[in-house]
Parts: sequence; C-alpha cells; structure tokens
Amino acid sequence: MRFGIRARLTLVLALVGLLVAGLTGFYAYHVSRSLLVQSSQNELLLSTQVLARRIALTRQEVSRNLMVLASHPAAQTSLQAHSAVAQAQLATLFKVLMAANPAYLQIRLISAQDHGLERVRVDRDSGTLQEVTGEDLQEKGHFAYVSETLKLAYGETYLSPIAINHEQGSHAGLDRPTLQLATPVSDANGKALGLLVINLDLDGMFALLSADLPEDFALYLANHRGDYLIHPDSTKAFGFDRGHRVLVQEEFTATAALVDQRAENLVLQADQGPHAFAPLLAAFVGRPVLANSEETRLILGLARPLESVLKQTDQLGRTIVQIVILVSLACALLAVLVARALTRPINSMIAAVHRFSNDNKVLPLPVERSDEIGTLARSFARMQGQIRKQMDDLHDSREELEHLAQHDMLTELPNRRMFMDRLKQAIARAQRTEEDFALLFIDVDNFKNFNDSLGHAAGDAVLKTVALRLASNTRKVDTVARLGGDEFVVMIDNFSERNLIAAFTEKLLVALKAPMEFEGHTLCVEFSIGISQFPEDGSTAEEVINNADRAMYRTKAGGRNGYRFTSDANTQPNLL
Amino acid sequence: MAFALAACLLGSTVHAGGTLRVLAWPGYADPDIVKAFEQRTGAKVEVSYIDTDEALWARIAKNHGGDFDVFAVNTAELQRYIQQALVVPINPGAITNTRRQLPQFQALQKIPGIVHGGKVFAMPYTYSEMGLIYDRRQVKTPPTSIQALWDPRYQGKVLVYNGGAHNFALAAQAMGSRTPFALQASQWESAVQQLIALRRNALTFYSQLDDSVNWFQSNKAALLFANYGSQQFKQLQAAGLDVGYAIPQEGALAWLDCWVITRGAKDTALAEAWINYTLEDGPGKVLQDRQGLANTTAPSPYLGPQDKLIWLEPVEDVDRRNRLWNRIVSGDRASKVLAP
Repeated sequence: MRFGIRARLTLVLALVGLLVAGLTGFYAYHVSRSLLVQSSQNELLLSTQVLARRIALTRQEVSRNLMVLASHPAAQTSLQAHSAVAQAQLATLFKVLMAANPAYLQIRLISAQDHGLERVRVDRDSGTLQEVTGEDLQEKGHFAYVSETLKLAYGETYLSPIAINHEQGSHAGLDRPTLQLATPVSDANGKALGLLVINLDLDGMFALLSADLPEDFALYLANHRGDYLIHPDSTKAFGFDRGHRVLVQEEFTATAALVDQRAENLVLQADQGPHAFAPLLAAFVGRPVLANSEETRLILGLARPLESVLKQTDQLGRTIVQIVILVSLACALLAVLVARALTRPINSMIAAVHRFSNDNKVLPLPVERSDEIGTLARSFARMQGQIRKQMDDLHDSREELEHLAQHDMLTELPNRRMFMDRLKQAIARAQRTEEDFALLFIDVDNFKNFNDSLGHAAGDAVLKTVALRLASNTRKVDTVARLGGDEFVVMIDNFSERNLIAAFTEKLLVALKAPMEFEGHTLCVEFSIGISQFPEDGSTAEEVINNADRAMYRTKAGGRNGYRFTSDANTQPNLL
Repeated sequence: MAFALAACLLGSTVHAGGTLRVLAWPGYADPDIVKAFEQRTGAKVEVSYIDTDEALWARIAKNHGGDFDVFAVNTAELQRYIQQALVVPINPGAITNTRRQLPQFQALQKIPGIVHGGKVFAMPYTYSEMGLIYDRRQVKTPPTSIQALWDPRYQGKVLVYNGGAHNFALAAQAMGSRTPFALQASQWESAVQQLIALRRNALTFYSQLDDSVNWFQSNKAALLFANYGSQQFKQLQAAGLDVGYAIPQEGALAWLDCWVITRGAKDTALAEAWINYTLEDGPGKVLQDRQGLANTTAPSPYLGPQDKLIWLEPVEDVDRRNRLWNRIVSGDRASKVLAP
C-alpha cells in the first residue's frame, strides 16, 4: 500500500505529537516523583523538628511546674518536722498537677536529710492518684537524680537518663520507660533542703506529642549513645536494660553523624538490610538536652514507608497518562487538519496540471498565496501561459505549412497535391451521390514567349492574372488549382451535360483571354483546354486528369486556343 | 599436639556450615576471636551478650535453653541451671586444651559446683575476684577489710554493685560470717540492716562496668566494690584515674566463669570445639590484655600469693536475697524490707 504526502504527513505529525506528549509526560512523572520524595523528606524533617521543639517545650513546661512547686511555701515547710498540714497541702497540689498532666507518673518531695527520705509522694496507680505515706515512703539518697539535683542552684533542672524504672513501690511507673525531672528546694541562703521530682511516662508523653502525626509515621527516639528508647518495634527499645544494646546507628548508618555530633539534622532513605523490602523515608534530628543531665543529647526520628509516599504518584501517573492520551488525540486531529491545509493547494495544482496537460484547459491556481505554494502556483501559471503561447504559435506554423504544402505560392491557388485530394474526394462523393463532374485542364499557349520577351516577372504576372480570372469566373464549389508551370485545372461539380460544360468553358475562355496590362505592355494570352468527365473519362483521379491532359494536348496539337473533350474523336479543337 | 590438630581438622569437617549460638559476657567472644573460630571450622557464630546474672538466667530459662548452644556462667549461678536441667554434661575428653590449664583449674572436683554425680558440667574459662578499688588521693592507706565500704569517711563516695546475691554475701562477710552464701534465719534481719547502712553510705549502685567508670570519675568516688574485678580496675586506670586495687582480708568473693552447653544445643560437638578453642593462647591473651580478666592457663598479675579468694557458691535463697535487695535498693526502710 502506498501512502500519499497527506497520509505520510498526517502520520509523521501525529507520531511527533505522540512522542512529544509521551516524553513530556514521562519526564513530568519522574520529576514529580523525585520532587514528591524530596518534599516528603522535608516534611518529615520539619515534623521531626516540630516534635523536637514540642519535647523541649514540654520539658520547659515540666520545669516551670517544678518551679511553681519549689517556690510554693508548703514545699519548704513540708521538709521540716511536724508539717502534716503543709504536706497535705502539697500532696493536693501534686494531685492537681498530675490530674492535669496524664504523662506525670509520680511527683515527690524528697528531703536532703534522712538519706533522701521522701516527704510527700503521689503516685499514679492504675488510673487513680494515690498519696504514699508513712512506712511506704522510701530513702532515695543513693539515686543520681537526688544527689545530682542537690548539687544544683535554685531554679535549675536536672534531667535523668531515660531508663526503665525499676524502683519498687512506684506503682504505675514500675518497669516503665521513665525520665525524672527534678529541681532543688532551697532555703533563703540557697542551701538545698530537698528536691522535687516529677517522673514522666516516656511513652505517654510521646503518645501525646505525636498524636496528630499521620498514622503511617513511625517514631524513633535514641539517647546520646544511640540506644533506642522508642522504636516502632518495642523489643528494640531499652535493649541496654536487657543487656543487649540496640543502636540507631546500626539500623540507620547515617545517624552515626548525629551520635558523633557531626550533624544536627539529616534525611535519609533506608532501603538496605531490614528495610530492603519496605524502604523508609526518614528524618532524624539530634538535639542537646538543655538541662543538667548525663543524657547530653537526644536523637529523634520520624519515618514513613516510601510506598505510601509514592502512592500519591500513582494518581499523578494516571492523570499524566490521561493528559498524554488527550494531547495525542488532539495532535492526531491537528495533524489531519494541518496535512489537509498543506496539501489542498498542492492537490488543486495537481488538478490544474492534469487538466492543462489533458485538454489544455486552465483551472484557477492559488496564485494569491504569499508562501512557497503561491510562488509555485505563480511559476506554474507563468509556465502555463508560455506553453499556451508556444502551442498557439506551433498551431499557426502548422497551418501555414499545411497551406504552403497545399497551395501554389505564386497564385495562392491549391497545388497539385491538394487538387488530387479534392479530386479523389469528388470521385468518392460522385460515386456515392451519382452526381457527375467535369475537369478542365488549362494550359497557357506559348507561355515561354512571355518569359523570354518580357522576363520572368511578366510570366508571373500572367500566371497571377490567369489565377485571378479563373477564381472569379468559377463558382465557390468549383475547385481551381495550378498543377505547375503554366498548367491549371478547374473541377466543376454537377456538370454532366456536355453542352453546358462547353458553354461554361467557352465563357471561361472569353474571360481568360481578355488583354492583360504589364508595365505598359498589353499582353494577349491564349489557352488550350482539355476536358474530361467523370465517370465517362476514367474511374480514378489519375485517369480523369490524364485524359483531360491528353485532351488538352490534342487541343494544342490542333492549333491551340480552344478546347476539346476527351471523348472527341477528332484532333481539331473547338475553337472560339 | 598432633591429636589436637587432628581434632581441629575433624572439627572443621564435621561442623562446616553449622551455626553456633553463643551467649556471653562482653569481652568473652570478641569479633576477631569469633572470626578465627569461624574460619577454622566453617561454622557461623552468633554471639549475644548479657551483663547481669539475672539477664543470663532469663534468656537461658526462656525456651528451656533452646535459644542458645553454649554460654558462660559462674559456678554459683550454674547450680540452678543444673537443677533445672537447662545444661548438659560436657565430655572432658573433647576439651583437649584442659591440659594447658593451671593445676587449680584442672582439679575440677575441688571447685564447688562443677562436678555432679561424677559428671562435669562446666569448663573453667576465666575468673575474677571482686576486690576493692580505691582512689589513691582520697584513700591514703589501702583498705584491708570489707568494712571499708561502711566507713562513714567515705559516705556518699562508695560505689556498690546492684545485685542481691553478692550484696548479702558482702553483708555476711562484714558481719564476720564464714558462710556468706548460707545465711542463718537469725542473720537476715542484721544483714538487711547492714545493707541499708551500706545504701546510706553509698553514692549509688551500678550495673554496668561503663557506668561504674563514669560514676567513679564524674562523682569523685573514693571506694568501689569491684564486681568486675581487675577488668574494672584496668578500665579505671585507662580512664586516667589514680586508683589502687586491694583484696580484703576476709577474702575476695570471686566468680569463676565456665562454659556450659545448653540442653537445647543443636550441635554439641561444635559447642565443645568452641570451648576447646577458647582455652588456647589467643583467646586467653585477649581476655587478659583487653578485659583485664585472668584466664585459667596463666597466673593472674593482680593477685598476690597471700590473697584469699572465695569462689561464689549458690546462695541459700536467691529469690529472697533479690526480693529483699530490690526493696533495699528502692529505698525501703528495714521494717518494710523485712515485711512478708
């Protein structure tokens, strides 16, 4: 199957359109995908930073609450002997605070005396707040949060390492991830008389802080050595408490930079080891603990499955595919229209060329266009004009040649060739119609004398005059021709009667013989005529003309200046 | 030697491709030591670490020893594993390197708790005496008695290990008892009082070696009950502290860690090959150089000829000791501690 320019142009334009739309769609998809991953990582980092900020704020809020308690007169009074009223007041205050802050597991007032004996203590115990009193109060002097806090100045906060609380008798806090925040209670001289400790439930606190994070976000928290404190897989948190450390830098190698304090923030894509089959996007931040603490730094991280991020690109991909299909269809339609618009003038020119070459007819061309097609049309129109003119010239030349071939140049009469044609036609017609005709063979007598005595110009003048007189004295239907030299023939139609032919011939002879003027000379010219009739004197043109010629010769032999029929037996011409 | 080589070769063919699950204390199975064994046998070794006797018990007791093939435990702790049938006897003939050990460790019958019913259940690997580490600048004369831990001069500057069984033994030694692992019913109350007094004299109680070093350094402690022995001493020295090491006249509690094979061991021969391997010079030297731990094939540089060691033995009631100790360390007073 062969394709025309239009089909090919349509196909090419449509393919180009499809290719461009497809490539654009493909790149758009890829760029969008990496942008999405990047923006998701940024979002993660931002969320992590916000969370870190919230933790810092929470820590500050706990510090403020501690300060409120430490500055309360009941706190100092409660540390003295026989202060049951103040202690009860303080316990109430503890309960109010704990009721307002579900992450507070325990608040205590601990004395610097009596080996760190607890003076006021409220524990959270299976949902209720319970004041611990009497023998149940414990000595805590050997715990770091006591000895370290007592070293601090008024208003400073101590933050314990985050660990599993193994202190017996701490009710709901037992064996839970806990951190203690503590501040000293000082006398007027700034001497620490005791301390206030708030035990925070790590999981509860983080559950509150991260409550508004999307469901697929996973939270990680590690201490300054990288030990996990919070991990989506709870068996990995507090590994050190079970004698098997689980480190963030072992799961996410890049976080070593946070542990070594070479970086503050980082985003990463975890797709190795345990994450090979479910890659994660994660952001980690390392933040110094702005409190007196052995826990110098905390590493906080958020992660979400890469799959859930890329799920958003699925919709994007579908939209892009739809757009590509629509654009491709539009391109195909456009290609059809463009190809049609481009090929229409070409087609009209093709039609014009066809028509011109077939029957020389000129069809309208798009010559008014200002583009290449207009130029082509104008060139073609010009060429068409030239061809037409040359064709006309050729036609004229041919007609002239034809005229020359059939006429005698001197007399403008038909020549022998044309006459023979007419004679043959006349014979054919006569045979068909049974109408007879006659042929007069006329020869100028002594023509050579004119040439010899007056020059060839005189001879030519005689021949011309003879031709004119022959033409003017015959009918339109009759044929007059010069056979050559001084020989003329006249074919007269519908003459079958011998006497009528004779009368005509005699009348013709009278007209011919009238004197002729040539350069002051009066020339008297005489003629010998032979007559043959059809069909009596021959059935062919040659026979008819030869018989007329012979009759003419007999006239000459008989003395010239007369005529004779072929059928005349005698040699004596019919003289006038 | 030729026999040992043959055994090794045999081992490498028998155990190629197997997996040995080792539960050990930090420093007992360092990666390079493990790697050498893996290359030699073609087996894969998975090492897990524990740092308390309780953690060790918990991990072995879980799944009846099915999670590990071989582990290291001291002779005292070993007894409850034997009673619970969590460990199986070792074929001493397979451990050819026992011939390289010091005479006192070849005489297995004389070490309490290793031989039961004529069967050897453990192979001594390393030991450590729990001496006293002191800061030379604060403690001018080296402590001679365990009583130093209760010395009011060092109030709030004493670091003690957080462990019930050992601390009751310490209390018994301080009370003049010659059987620190078997408290009489009448001794409990005074032992508790003794430990509460120790608590009141203590800076804090540590569990991990690293923590003890950090505490000692940052809180300028004067005296340390060295649960990790010479290993701890070496680390404190490495931390740049001017410390001394003393063995109290009552005798230093000493643990003797032995390799034992679990009931759930998948490949006993591979476990025995591991034990035999650890008695070679290489692992023994690593123990001494890196951990400051004595091995059983060369004399300890930290002990004098007169120094007395008391090998740990199972205590009369480990649960009671721990229960009471947890109350003590949580801060309860005597009446509360001794409450039922």
